[in-house]
Amino acid sequence: MVSEPGRPDPITLGVVWGALRSICVEVGSSVQRTAYSIQAREGQDFSVAVFDAQGRMSAQGPYSPGHMGAMNFAIGNFINAFAPEALRPGDTLLLNDPQLGSGHFPDFLVAQPCFWRERLVGFGVNLVHHTDVGGSRPGSQAVEGIFDWHQEGLRIPPVKIVEEGRENKTALDIIAANSRVPGNVLGDLRSQRASLRVGEQRMAELYERFGSETVDACVEAMIQQTEARVRERIQAMPDGEYRFEDFMDDCGSGTDPLRIAVLVTVSGDRIAVDFAGSDPQTESGLNSYFNYTRSYVYAALKCLTDPFGPMNAGALRPIEISAPEGCFLNPRPPAGGGPRAAICTRIFEVILGALAGAVPDAVTAANSHFCNATFGAWDPVRKRRFVGYELIHGGTGARAARDGCEAMSSPYNAANIPIEAVEAATPVIVERFEFIPDTGGRGRHRGGLGVRRDVRILAENVKLTNLSERRRFRPFGVLGGEPGALGRTVINPGAPGEYEIGGKASVDLRYGDVVSFQLAGAGGYGDPAERDPALVEEDRRLGLITRW
Amino acid sequence: MRSSVQVAFDVGGTFTDFVLQDAEGRLHTGKRLTTYPDPTGACLEGLDEIMARTGAVWPELARAVHGSTLGSNLVIERKGADVALVTTRGFRDVLAIGRQKRYELYDLQTERPRPLLDRTQVHELTERVLADGSVYVPLDLDEARALIRRLGESGVRSLAVCFLHSYANPAHERRFGELLKQLAPAVEVSLSCDVAPQFREYERTSTTVINAYLVNAVREYLRGMTGRLAERGYGGRLFIMQSSGGAATAETMADFPVRMIESGPAAGALIAARYGEMTGHPDLIAFDMGGTTAKLSLITGGRPQTVDSFELHRVRLAPGSGLPLNVRSLDLVEIGAGGGSIARAELGTIQVGPESAGSAPGPACYGLGGSQPTVTDANLLLGYLNPDGFAEASLRLDLEAARRAIAEKVARPLGLPVEEAAWGIHAMVNLNMELATRVVSIERGHDPRTLALVATGGSGPAHACRLVQQLGVQTVILPASAGVASAIGLLAAEVKFDLSRSRLVDFDRLDPEEAEDLYREMEREAEQALGALPAALVREVDLRYSGQGYELTVPYENARQEFERLYGRRYGMASPGEALEATTWRLTAIAETPHVELPRFAPREARPPQRRPAYFPECGGFTETPVHPRHQLSPGQELEGPVVVEEHGSTTVLPPGVRARVDSYGSLLARW
Repeated sequence: MVSEPGRPDPITLGVVWGALRSICVEVGSSVQRTAYSIQAREGQDFSVAVFDAQGRMSAQGPYSPGHMGAMNFAIGNFINAFAPEALRPGDTLLLNDPQLGSGHFPDFLVAQPCFWRERLVGFGVNLVHHTDVGGSRPGSQAVEGIFDWHQEGLRIPPVKIVEEGRENKTALDIIAANSRVPGNVLGDLRSQRASLRVGEQRMAELYERFGSETVDACVEAMIQQTEARVRERIQAMPDGEYRFEDFMDDCGSGTDPLRIAVLVTVSGDRIAVDFAGSDPQTESGLNSYFNYTRSYVYAALKCLTDPFGPMNAGALRPIEISAPEGCFLNPRPPAGGGPRAAICTRIFEVILGALAGAVPDAVTAANSHFCNATFGAWDPVRKRRFVGYELIHGGTGARAARDGCEAMSSPYNAANIPIEAVEAATPVIVERFEFIPDTGGRGRHRGGLGVRRDVRILAENVKLTNLSERRRFRPFGVLGGEPGALGRTVINPGAPGEYEIGGKASVDLRYGDVVSFQLAGAGGYGDPAERDPALVEEDRRLGLITRW
Repeated sequence: MRSSVQVAFDVGGTFTDFVLQDAEGRLHTGKRLTTYPDPTGACLEGLDEIMARTGAVWPELARAVHGSTLGSNLVIERKGADVALVTTRGFRDVLAIGRQKRYELYDLQTERPRPLLDRTQVHELTERVLADGSVYVPLDLDEARALIRRLGESGVRSLAVCFLHSYANPAHERRFGELLKQLAPAVEVSLSCDVAPQFREYERTSTTVINAYLVNAVREYLRGMTGRLAERGYGGRLFIMQSSGGAATAETMADFPVRMIESGPAAGALIAARYGEMTGHPDLIAFDMGGTTAKLSLITGGRPQTVDSFELHRVRLAPGSGLPLNVRSLDLVEIGAGGGSIARAELGTIQVGPESAGSAPGPACYGLGGSQPTVTDANLLLGYLNPDGFAEASLRLDLEAARRAIAEKVARPLGLPVEEAAWGIHAMVNLNMELATRVVSIERGHDPRTLALVATGGSGPAHACRLVQQLGVQTVILPASAGVASAIGLLAAEVKFDLSRSRLVDFDRLDPEEAEDLYREMEREAEQALGALPAALVREVDLRYSGQGYELTVPYENARQEFERLYGRRYGMASPGEALEATTWRLTAIAETPHVELPRFAPREARPPQRRPAYFPECGGFTETPVHPRHQLSPGQELEGPVVVEEHGSTTVLPPGVRARVDSYGSLLARW
């Protein structure tokens, strides 16, 4: 069986495809094992992809989908900044510009041009959420007190961070000088670069084995095959115009809710998603640059159409996404965007909500909203500045066939950070980490429960940025299911003078204050009256509910 | 030379294998169906039979080694009704919450495996230790006593105790353990500071609970087994295979049953190491391909590489879907690639596995109702397998059924001739295994061109040569009677015990005296657990750059240089000059290294081989191919591919371009 040029045989195609995927995984495990910051190494808040020389994404690693909308366009943005002929072996590229990258400064997008026989054949890319890039609050994710991105920290346009093997020391020094925790940032950046060197070597080996004509033809075929399959799956969905709307609580204490409206149009083998009617961009950090908005639309539609299929440029082609320029899902620079992670779940969920009637067996109700608070101060014991990073995940929405999952990350897919790792790195004591009974939305199937994590901070003048949701608008149920319970954040719960703070609040805390993060419960699915009494009894026995 | 009589028995899911080495060093093998629920019956019958057959007598038996899947089975069945967990107040849900990552990124219908204990089996106690080992909240003794009374009354027979940061300061766990011994002596206790003293609470809790799950059943089982052997006159100790590839006494294993949870693959790798040693290849890849999965592991300097955590019972082998265990085990990559792996046409390519037709209904060619095309069906159609006799089951294979399945599910959808589709299935499963081989070699910093590969398992020898073709592996070792390899591996197991202590130290400012004290303390403990005089004590330490979260285990001697060398090889580049942090200190005590002599092949007169058509793309398709029975090969004989070599239990395929020599043990040493 010999491959004709331009039309690879099924075996060669399978081999090249498998090899590209495994390159992503190898780069990803290397990032995880060598990263310094707890959100990267424990929370796995990073992603990996490989691209061909034209900048088309050919494979993605199984990490955070939130970076994918950015990823797919990132190489194009680098190529606009550096013409391909200006790239040399040994160059490594970096950017964190929100509009060119994934929507906020902490995400460092690093691209490694891959050369084979002195020719540019593709790119390895990884994206890591860094701990702190300066700005008004530790963690660089403030909502309040931001009116544009200049309060959010250091913006890095596309730069060669390594030029023909020589580190760009000037750029590295500027980055280090602008972070509250320069050691972490430089360490994570080293981890990104080292892992991509491995990726480049693997790409070169692949081209050496098959030659560029065959590999390029395989990438073309992969993209086409994937596109054809996604179109086939969309074709199977009932045509129609599906609308949904939901609200974000606010964009800082005392502000109004933010409407997020979506129209999903399924017609033939195409899907169009339009966010017209969503609220205008905000004078706060709470805006989702379009790359980021796209990421979660792609992720939601991927879940509904082809969850086990490959993720590459072809999977995205049948999908058209629009949001009016100037709305908070497609803001004009220099809008703030640091805390945009608070928006991702909602973008994902409104797509599910819109399509619940069209594909009732595939959707879920709304999830318990996660919390991504950051805080920083002087660590009196370790004698250094620190930035703490919490990633608290609750349950997922109920489904046609079963209850929502308890304590499962969705849809951004990160892990939690072990208590013993947090306490070894920062001056905090976690005092509780547990389910909150009776928070899951009732239904034929129950939504997952909210989770509570209480953190005592042992430092003076702590600058806390809360980042959570679902204080006013309960996570919706679908097809008759009830919404989950609201979440809240309480300072010093149970103590005299306890008080609640907003989901996006920036507050100063004193030594020994406890922050109790209490997440909302996820939504239910179907009529609660239809729930199997045995399941109700079991929930009661386990203490997951006390009433029904 | 007279050697001592030794026996090994390995309980598998279907068969229990027996190997006895007699006083002349000859090996004898036996096989019996595993008995359920108690495997003891088959073990004793098989042992009695092999002892009688070889004329060995129990009092002269020097050593008995046992491998078992008992532990793994108990966990999979979730038989933990009489188990409970005691943990720090505020953290009863740690076990159920886990690490929360989705193992299938886009699958909204995914389910998490059921937690080992439900919420009612987890109890909180007022106490708290901090990361630096200081006591934040003292252990409430009254509360502890009340809890113990309640647990005793509720019928709990095994208790796991995991308090936060107990790896840094075990005082509260130990105090609670003493109270329990005092007030409820019948309850078995597993303290996390003994079972798995490493940081990350979920993983440590999971390991400790699994130990508690197993402890009663394993203790009872081992007590029964040693008693029955003693009744027969055996005066020596019973040794049990651990996941790490070392054996330990039954007494020690009864306290740490979590260490024996996966003994089969470890034994398989040990025998691969032994074959490597005999043929002058101390560095090699052990490749074991059976009916549903292929397992790959790296052996360097004659020793299997190990890791200090692994996942039990992953869902479709997906990383992150299983139960984490902080237990030293073989560094094994297992993928869904076996003879029964199902092939399908997808996205213009052929995809194989991880779903398997298993043994029921099995591949289409078994004629047992399977209609999905599998790797075995492809190998049959390609002429690699003999339709008249297959494995020990002496099953006749249905060539037409195989052809139909491949035509319908793979060839037609892709527009390929059926033979090419069969070749595609063979090639794609090889690719999947090649990618896994890269993980255990290249990703671990070892160039496959400097390694050999030892193929075992029913399907291994049919794929081994193709598997290494692109990797540049120099020599493929295809041992005779690969079917009982893991039982022979048990005989070859060193007696070993691993200990570790978590202690976070700035390695650049290490006080060598302090390290010395730590190692000395572990040495004393290890000697006791070993139950024998240690022949070697290996000191290792886990290092990372200060601020990182994952470590590399390196020898304590020259630790910094070793770390930077290994780091550079694994992760692209080291950062010399960055501060180093030591996290876990490890000691391995190793007792005797037994010598296992493998059976030799007698020279015999070469007979002309039979021939049948087999498919090789290099020959333009089917070509008349010589077929040799393995037992008719003679030491020193040279073979040149294409050749097929058949024996009970497996078939070896040597493609065109491969030359092989038969060594004095009947192994084929093949190279491209």
